[in-house]
Order: sequence, then C-alpha cells, then structure tokens
Amino acid sequence: MDSALDALLKSQPTLWRGSDRYNDDESVPTGFDALDKALPAQGWCIGGVTELLSRHQGIGELSLLLPALRRITGEGQWAAFINPPYIPYAPALGNACVRLDRLLIIDSGDDANTLWATEQVLRSGLFAGVVAWVNRSSAQQQRRLQLAAETGRTWATVYRPWHADKEHSPVAARLRLSLVEARLQLDIFKLRGGNPCTVCIEPSEFDASQGVEWPIPAKLPRPHPVSSPASKPAV
Amino acid sequence: MLWLALHFPQLPIDRQGQGGADEPRAVVLHEGSRRRILACNAVAAAHGIRPGQALKNAYDMVPALITSDHDEQQQLAHLEQLTLWALHYSSLVSPEPPDTILLEIQASLTLFGGLEALLERVHDDVRQQQLALSTAIAPTPAAAMLFARAGVHRQLLDRQSLAETLASVPVGWLPLNDFTLKGLRQSGLQTVAELTALPAAALTRRFGSPCTDLLYKLDGRLPDPRTAYQPAEVFFSALDLPLEAPDTQALSFPLNRLMNALGGYLRSRDLGVRHLQLQLDHHRGPTTRVDLKFLDATANTRHLFRIASERLSNLVLDSPVIRLGLESTELADLQREGRDLFMKSQAGGSTIEQLMDRLSARLGREALYTPATGEDHRPEKAWLTALLDRQTPPGHWPARPLWLLREPIPLNQSVTLQTLPERIENGWWDDTDVRRDYFIATTADGAYYWVYRQRRTSDERLWLHGLFS
Repeated sequence: MDSALDALLKSQPTLWRGSDRYNDDESVPTGFDALDKALPAQGWCIGGVTELLSRHQGIGELSLLLPALRRITGEGQWAAFINPPYIPYAPALGNACVRLDRLLIIDSGDDANTLWATEQVLRSGLFAGVVAWVNRSSAQQQRRLQLAAETGRTWATVYRPWHADKEHSPVAARLRLSLVEARLQLDIFKLRGGNPCTVCIEPSEFDASQGVEWPIPAKLPRPHPVSSPASKPAV
Repeated sequence: MLWLALHFPQLPIDRQGQGGADEPRAVVLHEGSRRRILACNAVAAAHGIRPGQALKNAYDMVPALITSDHDEQQQLAHLEQLTLWALHYSSLVSPEPPDTILLEIQASLTLFGGLEALLERVHDDVRQQQLALSTAIAPTPAAAMLFARAGVHRQLLDRQSLAETLASVPVGWLPLNDFTLKGLRQSGLQTVAELTALPAAALTRRFGSPCTDLLYKLDGRLPDPRTAYQPAEVFFSALDLPLEAPDTQALSFPLNRLMNALGGYLRSRDLGVRHLQLQLDHHRGPTTRVDLKFLDATANTRHLFRIASERLSNLVLDSPVIRLGLESTELADLQREGRDLFMKSQAGGSTIEQLMDRLSARLGREALYTPATGEDHRPEKAWLTALLDRQTPPGHWPARPLWLLREPIPLNQSVTLQTLPERIENGWWDDTDVRRDYFIATTADGAYYWVYRQRRTSDERLWLHGLFS
C-alpha cells in the first residue's frame, strides 16, 4: 500500500500533498537572522505559544513580529490580533506590507473573553498567526492556550506584563524584551528544545521590516531636546 | 411512487416536551359539554388512563391528574413545523392533519443511501425532538397512512404485497364515518378482502361512494394525488411554550424544534440564511428580539443552533418567555464555489466565517474587524474598520506608529523630539478641525512616541497619539 503510494508520489511530482506545507515547515522565520539561529525551530514555533514580556511599550515589541506577519498574510493566510492595547494603525501596518485584509482584529475586552477567543481561534486551525494581549492568566490558562496552539498547529504569540516572568507558564518559549543601549534585547529565559540565551536586534534591522526609514538618531536632521508639558520647548 | 407515512400518535401531549414527565398528565378535548381525554403521558397511562375516556372517569381513577386543554391551532402549527422539517427528506411532503405527514420517498432513496438508512435518520431526528412515531411505507398514500395510524409498521414496496396485506385488514381500521362502519359490521363484513369481493355497484349502493373510493385508493386503482407542501417566501414559525420559561436555558428545546423546521425549509428552497431574528414574547412588555447575522449564508442547522444558543445564554430576561418565534429576515444563495484548496482555512472542518460568527455571537459584532487605510491624511480618519473581503490598495505613508491611541492624551514625561514637524491639517469641511505638527519623539527609556502640538493655539502641550512599538 505504502509503496504504491510512494511510487505514485514519485511519478507525479505535481501532486499536492496536504502535509507538505506544515510538516516540513514547523516555524515561521522571524526575519531576524540572530533570532532565527537562537530558536530551535529556526523561527517562531508553529504549534506553540511564545510569551513576550515587554518592559516598556513603544520599544519595538510589535515590530518584532512584523516580518513574520508580513510573510503569512502575504501568502494569503490569516492572522489575528486579540485584545490589542491600542488601535493597530492601518497606515503603519500597510507600510510594513502586512496584508490588512488578512488581519482580523478582535476587541475582546476583558481577560476572560480574550482567553476564550484566543483558544477558539487557535483551536480552529484557521489562522496561521495569532497575537494576543493578556493581562492576567494562570498557569492553567496558559497551558490551555499552549494545547490549543498545538491542536490548531498555529504560531501563537501572547504579550503579558513584565512582572509575569515570576510566574510559572507551561508554554513553548518565553522572552523578556527591553531596550539596552538603543538596541532591543531579547532575553530568552525559557525555550522548549533549546537553551536560554540573549539576542540583540539593532534598530537598523527594523528598517527593512517596517518598510519605511526609521528615524534612528544618526539620521536625524535636528534633534530638539524638550521636556513637556512644564517647560516650553524651543522649536 | 413510494409513500412514507409519519404518524405522531402522542402529538398533543408530546408537544409539551419533557417538563413534568414524571407526573400524570393528559390533554383534554371539549366536545360540546362533554370532555374527554385526547392523549396522556406514560405515567397517566400506567394508572389506566386511556384516550377517549371521559374526563370525569379519569379524575376518579387518578385524582392527581394534571390536565391541559387541547389547542388545535397550536397542534396545526406544530404539524407545519414537522412538515418543514420533513422537507429534508423529500420535496413532496403533504401534512395530513391532525397528526400525520406523508412523504413521497422514491426519489430520495438513492440520495440517502437506501430505505433503511433513510428511516434511521428520520427516527433519529424524531427521537431528538422527543416525539412518539409510527411509520409505514406503501405504494399508495392512503395505505401508508392507514397502517401508520393503526400502528402496524409495514414496509410494502410493491402493489402485490400491498394487495395481500390489505386483504386481511379488519374493516374497523378503515377511516370511514361511524355510520358506515356500523353498517359494515351489521352486514357481517370482517375484512377488506370480503369488501372487495363484493360487486362495486352493490357496495356503492349500500355504503355510499366514499367507501368504494377509499378501497380503490388504498390499492391504487383510483388516483389519489396529494398536494406538495409549498414553503412560504419568508420563513416564520413560532410556538407557545407549554410552561413559561423563566430563563433562556429553558428555550433550548423549543429552539431546537424551530431550527429543525428552518433546516428543512432552507433545504427545500436551496437557500441559506444570512439574517435571523429570534422573537421572545412575554406576558407584558415588548417582544425581546435577538438578531443573528451570519457572514456567509448558511443552511447548517447545527451551526445556527449553536450561535443562537450562545446569544441566548448571554441574554438576561426581565420577565418569563411565553412564546418563541423564529423569522428569516434575509435569505441568500448558498456559496457553493470551493475555497482555495491551499488555504489553511480548509483545515479543521469549520470555515473562517463560522468561527467569526461564533466569536461575534459572544463578543458582539463590533468587536471583529480588519483594519483598512482611509483616504484622509488626518490620523483619526486614516484608519477604518472593514470587515472581510475589502481589498485596500497598500497606500504608502510617511513613518507612522503601529499603535494609535483612541484618544490622544497629554504627554506628562520629558521626551526628545527627533524629527522636523510634519504638518497635518485641514478637515474644516467636517467636524474635526485638525491643525497639528507631528513629531517622532524618544523617551528616556528609548521608546518611540508619536506626538503632536496644536497649531495656532496658546496650548503648547505635547499630546501623545501613538506608539511606534
């Protein structure tokens, strides 16, 4: 039986194999070489949850996902943002070449609804990438998300508060994000199938992923140190 | 032609559902001043209550008997719901009030994989609706109905076996009026065979033409056309709840019944539903209306039922529900074209639209959107929410933050402005008058902010409008 099947597959290279796409490709490339090398699957893990704990907002924590999001939406696959903290701004996403008509935003509101919606979306297997913002969740709830991501073979990313690194979480990978000397430092402190390590991403590496020139300090025309609102800025 | 008769012998009492099934219950029919038992549940039957009994005698036997009056209109409505459901199985369905449905099934046999498979599915459906059922199959509608109502499960597939079986049927089974039946008995006629042995002319003279016609219709010598039930342009069905429902939990059973009817309706019209409305009537106060909208027209009753249940479970009732209605407000052709084989949305069995329906049933319809860029340059106007299938050409924008704050907030930390101002203004033609200078700024922590200062005002504060993230 198997040999007949093998013979058929060999003689008909154009046959589409349902398993090709996802079994041979267990990860989504992150778009950052150093990070790909650090991760055991050579990219964001498909079928597992990656937890991102960001020290501040606005340090590039979402830009980190843009190359992968651009890749999967560009292939016509769906991605979802669940409970984003602000409006995902369409012009910026468009600049980064993320296909907007393949990005579903779900304003789920509280954590209970967010966890529920995330589990539904992960389990369905209909989305290639799922990004969720969760404030509070127990180890058991994180385990449910991890299992749902395994069931649906989905690349799942969950943003959690900085202090959540003290809590146990049974997910595939956990990363702390912070800015160190103007570089985004990824402290991979838990990694299934790999060793914890630290990766740094230069601001210039983000240029390509954003699709626009980043206003990195070196290129700036005229920096104006100001403090607001108390003192009057000198512009 | 092959006819399947579905007879619901306990319809008046089964209609009430399983509420109070452990108490003796009976439905009472008023005939002038006489009142007698029309149907009773199993507990009452175990106490010796029988249909046809005078109510007074029944009370003598079981003083605790709980009775309700027979509602002919409601039963007709229920029979119509069952007729709609039966459209699942045949396009020629004829309701035979008060409690039987006839289906022509010759054409459906191949579709459902043979007679046994078809019958099994019918029985499953009816069991799920908690109704007693008696079935019979015969080449003529009159014979199928006769055997089903007599409670003899016969499967007569050809004229020959029909004639043989009919011959031994006692005349008392025939649906004739009491006067004719009495005449037949007094003449010493016992079986249908003895009747058909008589010359037709003599039979008609003695017992009237209805008797002769019936015999000929039973064995197929006389045509007996049945009119196919024609579903209405818009689906609407409602039912009075036998016990008022204090919460939406209790609506599950009646909802399932209405969904079964809707499923048959959609199937017969080859349509899907895009917009449904549930109507919950109360003793007082306005009807509670629950709108269910679907991204893709669907005829999948399991999906519809799940969405409707989810929506109902979120609903808090001010007063009990006495009546539940279901109306199709928008029907549409089913999408038949196959989706892209290579898309992941083919996996898992359900479609992305079904998943979104499920999500919006709990989270609300506004909670789901895809972002789209607007034509306008003002930040508030440059994002739109679109829902599915709206291609936006990827316009190119100057550096813009990934996060936009819903409302700008005054910035209360010191930042370094990193760029020359980008002037964004105009909009005098509508309400938002925007005259701002936007900057990209960095904080002491190294985060990138998108901030602006109002122009032509004395307000020198910086406002935070976005995060570059």
